[in-house]
Amino acid sequence: MKIEDSFIVQASRDRVWAAIIDPARIAPCIPGCESIEISGPNCYRARVSFAVGPIKASFNLEVEVTEETPPSFVASTTRGEEGTRASVLTAHNELHLVTLEDGSTEVRYVSDVSIVGRLGRFGLGVMKKKAAALGVEFAEAFRARVEQDEAA
Amino acid sequence: MRPMEFHEPATLDAAAALLAADGEARCLAGGATLVAMMNARLVEPSALVSLRRIEELRGIDAEGDGFCIGAMTPHRVTAADGRLAGGHAVVREAAAVIANPSVRNMGTMGGSIAFADPAADYPPALVAIGAEIEIVARDGQRRIGAADFFTDWYETVLGPGELISAIHLPGAPAGAVGVYDKLARVEGDFATASAAVVLAMAGDACSHLSIAVGGCGPTPLRLAEAESALIGSGLDAEAVQRAGEMLAQASDPVDDVRASADYRRLVIPRLVARAISRAITGARAVL
Repeated sequence: MKIEDSFIVQASRDRVWAAIIDPARIAPCIPGCESIEISGPNCYRARVSFAVGPIKASFNLEVEVTEETPPSFVASTTRGEEGTRASVLTAHNELHLVTLEDGSTEVRYVSDVSIVGRLGRFGLGVMKKKAAALGVEFAEAFRARVEQDEAA
Repeated sequence: MRPMEFHEPATLDAAAALLAADGEARCLAGGATLVAMMNARLVEPSALVSLRRIEELRGIDAEGDGFCIGAMTPHRVTAADGRLAGGHAVVREAAAVIANPSVRNMGTMGGSIAFADPAADYPPALVAIGAEIEIVARDGQRRIGAADFFTDWYETVLGPGELISAIHLPGAPAGAVGVYDKLARVEGDFATASAAVVLAMAGDACSHLSIAVGGCGPTPLRLAEAESALIGSGLDAEAVQRAGEMLAQASDPVDDVRASADYRRLVIPRLVARAISRAITGARAVL
């Protein structure tokens, strides 16, 4: 499933970029992210939990940055599984930062996610709605964080 | 797989105490959904609290001009209760088209709405009739309108330690007719889209109308503008079509194995028109 959205942050592109590539700043903005650590050059390890109604899931994710053009573009792949390997998630993500006329920055992202295993049996339609809602939650948190740092 | 406890309390108090003691415990009603979800390893409760032995959760009682339906009442019983007539027939019709006879024997109203599948049949019917959901916990009980009970995809206001004890149907206006229409790929499937309508006529004009669309968003969709545009009118085809289009516009359907989101938006006006047309015929027969 493809998740695509964009949001605007009232900060310069350099500031937004600095926040995007800093795990300590971005982790608290990711809904359900319990931990994130640097596991190697361009590699991060994260633990993320989410729930759809009665179904709860917790993934150990490995994120690898595959392409980076500071301060405007980053591509990454995500691979992860639930503790018991009940579901496996893979994703290819791209993120663009665009400077707007008023000096603010538009963050555009597109993520192609596939889930197989027990969660794959659950309707992907609803999963997509849930993922989009989590994306909006992330955007709100990230914007608040960067704009707060900007004001400080 | 971790070990799981199984409880069969005989009273509501005992069930509420068990749920309060273990946040990961889940109620087992008919098991039509929960057991299937457990088999698919989608949910793994630490304990099951079966509600089967709690007598007070069963059966349908008249209550003023309305009814009180125990949470453990199976769909089969609701579908066969001739007292659910007039406006209340919307709930009976919904019960009658849930899945198949086996599921209607096992499944219960409380269990169905607690799971809150957006494509299930009861949610729009209960929202259209303005039902209230009675919720019990160890430290008391509360009632909440069906429209506020469902909060998101597969989510309700039910908190840890809470269970549904009953569904209260209020009195319906005199002469009201309730209709539930469902579009499904095959008989017994979840709804691709559905429409629940409660309607009353005064002469040639519509005097009461509520429309709830199911299967086309996280929760049943009711739209005050669509209803107020029709109340007082003669419900001519064009006006009904416009109201249906307003509902389609406000819907938030998914693309899934049953249909695309676009298809669902396309059928909403037709489904609403069909339900309203059948309700008008019923209302004329009452007059």
